[in-house]
Amino acid sequence: MQAGLPNPVPIRRCNVKACPSLRGGQAWPKKARMTAALRPDRNFKYWLLAPAIFLLLLVGLFPLIYSLIVSFMRIDMMDVDTSFAGLYNYANLFEDKRLWQSLGHTLLITAIALPLELVLGLAMAYLFLEKMPGRQIFIALLVLPTIISPIVAGATWRLLFDNRYGPINQILGWIWGEPVTALWTINPYLVYPALLICEVWQWTPFMFLILLAALSNVDKSQTEAAELDGAGFFRTFRRIVLPAIWPVMAIAILIRGLDLFRMFDIVWALTKGGPGTMTETISVYAYNQGFKQFETSYTAAIAFLVVFLLTVVVTWAIRRMGLAK
Amino acid sequence: MVTRRDIGRMGFAAGFAGLFARPAWAQAAAETAVAAAQQYRGQTINIVWEAGLQSLDPKNFSGPKWKELTGIDVNVVEVPVAEMFTKIMQEYRAGTGAYDALNVIPAWMPDLVNAGALEVLDPYVEKFGFADELQMIAPTYRDNQMMVDGKIYGFPDDGDVFVLYYRKDILGDPALQAAYKEKFGTDLPVPPTTWADFDQLGQFITETMGGKPFGAAFFREPGYGNFMFQERFRVEGGRFFDADTMRATINSDAGVKVFADWVAENKWAPPGVEQWGFVENLAAFLQGETAMTISWPPYGRWAAGYGTDEEVMSWVPKSTIAGKVGYALTPGGHPQLAAGFALSVASSSKNKEAAYLFIQWLNSESVSMERVQLPYALRDPFRTSHFTSPEYLSKWPDAKDYLAALQAGADSGLLDLSLLQTDKYEEVLRQSVSRLWAGEDPKAILDDAASQWDTITDKIGVEEQKAVYASWAAKSGAYPKM
Amino acid sequence: MSGLPFHRRKSTRLAVRYAIAGLLVVIFCFPIYWLFIISFKTPEEIFAFPPVWYPESIQFDNYKVLFKDGDAVSVLNSLILASSSTLIAMVLGTIAAYSLVRFKTGGENLAVWIISQRMMPPVAIVFPVFLLYVFFGWVDTYFGLILLYTAFALPYVIWMMRGYIEDIPLELEESALVDGCTRWEVLWKVVFPMARSGLFATAVFTFVFSWNEFLFALVLTRTEVMTYTVQVTHYFGGQSNFWAKIAAMSVLGTIPVFIAVATMQRYLVRGISMGAVKG
Repeated sequence: MQAGLPNPVPIRRCNVKACPSLRGGQAWPKKARMTAALRPDRNFKYWLLAPAIFLLLLVGLFPLIYSLIVSFMRIDMMDVDTSFAGLYNYANLFEDKRLWQSLGHTLLITAIALPLELVLGLAMAYLFLEKMPGRQIFIALLVLPTIISPIVAGATWRLLFDNRYGPINQILGWIWGEPVTALWTINPYLVYPALLICEVWQWTPFMFLILLAALSNVDKSQTEAAELDGAGFFRTFRRIVLPAIWPVMAIAILIRGLDLFRMFDIVWALTKGGPGTMTETISVYAYNQGFKQFETSYTAAIAFLVVFLLTVVVTWAIRRMGLAK
Repeated sequence: MVTRRDIGRMGFAAGFAGLFARPAWAQAAAETAVAAAQQYRGQTINIVWEAGLQSLDPKNFSGPKWKELTGIDVNVVEVPVAEMFTKIMQEYRAGTGAYDALNVIPAWMPDLVNAGALEVLDPYVEKFGFADELQMIAPTYRDNQMMVDGKIYGFPDDGDVFVLYYRKDILGDPALQAAYKEKFGTDLPVPPTTWADFDQLGQFITETMGGKPFGAAFFREPGYGNFMFQERFRVEGGRFFDADTMRATINSDAGVKVFADWVAENKWAPPGVEQWGFVENLAAFLQGETAMTISWPPYGRWAAGYGTDEEVMSWVPKSTIAGKVGYALTPGGHPQLAAGFALSVASSSKNKEAAYLFIQWLNSESVSMERVQLPYALRDPFRTSHFTSPEYLSKWPDAKDYLAALQAGADSGLLDLSLLQTDKYEEVLRQSVSRLWAGEDPKAILDDAASQWDTITDKIGVEEQKAVYASWAAKSGAYPKM
Repeated sequence: MSGLPFHRRKSTRLAVRYAIAGLLVVIFCFPIYWLFIISFKTPEEIFAFPPVWYPESIQFDNYKVLFKDGDAVSVLNSLILASSSTLIAMVLGTIAAYSLVRFKTGGENLAVWIISQRMMPPVAIVFPVFLLYVFFGWVDTYFGLILLYTAFALPYVIWMMRGYIEDIPLELEESALVDGCTRWEVLWKVVFPMARSGLFATAVFTFVFSWNEFLFALVLTRTEVMTYTVQVTHYFGGQSNFWAKIAAMSVLGTIPVFIAVATMQRYLVRGISMGAVKG
């Protein structure tokens, strides 16, 4: 194997000639080599997984079963009716306009915020890829928004957006030339921008850091060679960099997408789902139903609907993204 | 022979003795509690209390004092008020017995009682002779925030009521009064007693003074707007439901009027007031930016500078208007007894009697008197004796007007709506308020709200809700006597 | 280098990079700055019109109060919970990820099941988890929350490390094996070092997720274990808002993580060629 220059794309076939441990040009059949190494540790792969799976089951199994059972009952604040109610709750799901509206809101936010965060994060990662003095401080500072508790972030943005006591309208006023009255958390046209600003602000650093780590693993010699060959930035990116960082990037998109779907704190702090139910995401709706109004059974049904929808999306996404090779 | 004079003398003596018997009797409840609690020495009671400022009462004052007197540890479980109901229900449903005593917002009582989470207190009240002192709680709180279905489930412990605060110096300014008289032909109302007067005055002040100060501001945020709507709606003659059909009638003319008036008010209130919560409104008033506002009792104490030197009160902006504040009933004369707290015992507690004795002691005449006077207290006067206490009256020069306003409010106040699953109804109101600020048409919003209320009622069960509503509406504080 | 056109000169590029970096910091850190100075402002300055951009005096009273009242303990609690759960989750999760990637254990279904744990809206399972914890007696304990946060972190760690491990070429491991390393040694000596930047990036956010978790911390604790997120919500009252405490507490809560991220930078960006690893 050439020193220092690994092939950035994982390959399944072993290039026999490149193995340094081959002495004298003997070529071992790949299968024999691997089997020889594998044999004593056939259960190795299970041991690796076991602790993690155990923990997940310990904490996750009972709630899952409980929720499933409860979703077939009629438990709410007023009585605990544990008789089997069939698909009562699930049937109600389909007639619940507010539920589907909240899913729509959630999808809207996800569809806008995710690409924004991705592109911004990627751009920022590129900015800091090469060495520069003080880079450490810059990166640490830029990660700060993600570290602040979302509850506090939401409350801070509330104050920032306040018409009288917040600086944002003040700054806008300076730019505009006259005092600006913008009710960010109330005006129907401003609430979504406000939410998105807050969300992108808080989570772009997430994409940034992850993509920075991935980009820094990309084989520099390949990109430099391409550059010398005259390839432009985008071509290099598409042909060399993107395939290299794709596994990480795809997963980051997946994770961020899932988390956006569950977005709660920012919405709660800024608008509480208002005005009316205009910015109510599915988490806010579920919170009101399950936490405040104790519609235990109905909330369980909502939860399973969400899990079902997300599983479908994720399975499709995994296939499309080639993550399950 | 016993003459009339003798009887007169006896009566006089009895009355005289009665005067002295009163304080002795008043001591009894607190002392009885302490004495009876000795047998529980060494135990710990867990009490749920609103997190933050409210909790300083049991943490710094009443808890340590109780421990000193009875040897019982008080473990204060602080919970943000938004999550209190949930945590209480969850612990109850899980049967953990983790909580012994509770702070409960009276509007929650029907739901909690229905679920079985609260302990009936009548047997304990009888056993420890608390009935008399309970009677001495101001009538509105006593008659409305203590019982569900005729049984006692909590002791009202906080005199939350809305008060109109106004700047005596501004409203009393001769030049302003003259200009008002010239413009409208009537005297400037100090303070305004109807909403029409209030709105007219508020707009006048903003226009004349050029926004320095504004006529008035309020906490317009939906969470608070919910309370203000409930008050003003009823004062304008509205009723929540048709008692016979149990159909919602919040979209009546009264409701639409309230919403329309609010939108008109916002025009002369500070821009952006629709987003204001408790603290923004407080800051604006204390810093002299508004001439009138409506809020809970603490504004009055803090405006006078009482208690704001305490370290824990350092978050309150310094009052620039001490001595200039007048107190009055809210326009319409029937302020909302918004929120409030009652002390209860959890039904799944393992130390019910010990918990009960603690809350009896807390709520007793002598101890509650001290508690409402704590400089950092958020507990407002709620016993008749609080309103007339010489000690309280001497706290700051205008304290007598303050207490008078609170007492008047307690006499004529309106209860929060309290039904089964009240939060669902209130959520609709909150959303309606936020939709109003977003610019929707008041009638459309309220029609939609009414139909949502009907859906909720249908789901809960019309007959059940009707019964609960009937018993709520029968209370003296449910609707103003017009 | 000076012969190159202006836009290709290294010094220009560096200057431009600094300018953009500076702009980014201003944009992203302005709200943080605002929160930070609130911890020094008087209430009149917090609610001043027009807004005050710089406080009159810098005094640390608000911070002192937090320590005096014992509120700062919540930061320590969160530190303990987040660090422990991150450490355990990183170890268990990375080796699990390795198993998934190299051996395709459980195939696609297992991988999807693992990530599905992150799909469940927390609100729906908070009560059954509470019941479970009541049963085991884990409510209001450090152990209980560490266990929970580790379990929450695992799907994230496993999936993220999957990506980073896939980036490691197979030959490195194969050659190590052939050279006589045991499987465990391969993990320790080849995989972990190679995935360093990925480990770091994942660890940072695993920590952050545990750090910021609110709902379960609220429901599963009473008085013994107060996390910083729950403590902060105590300052938002119905009739009070301790903005100075909120800000000071948030600053306190941010400092440890900030320092950790700043000091462990070198693991994030690898400038070293992979040939340095024993082949």
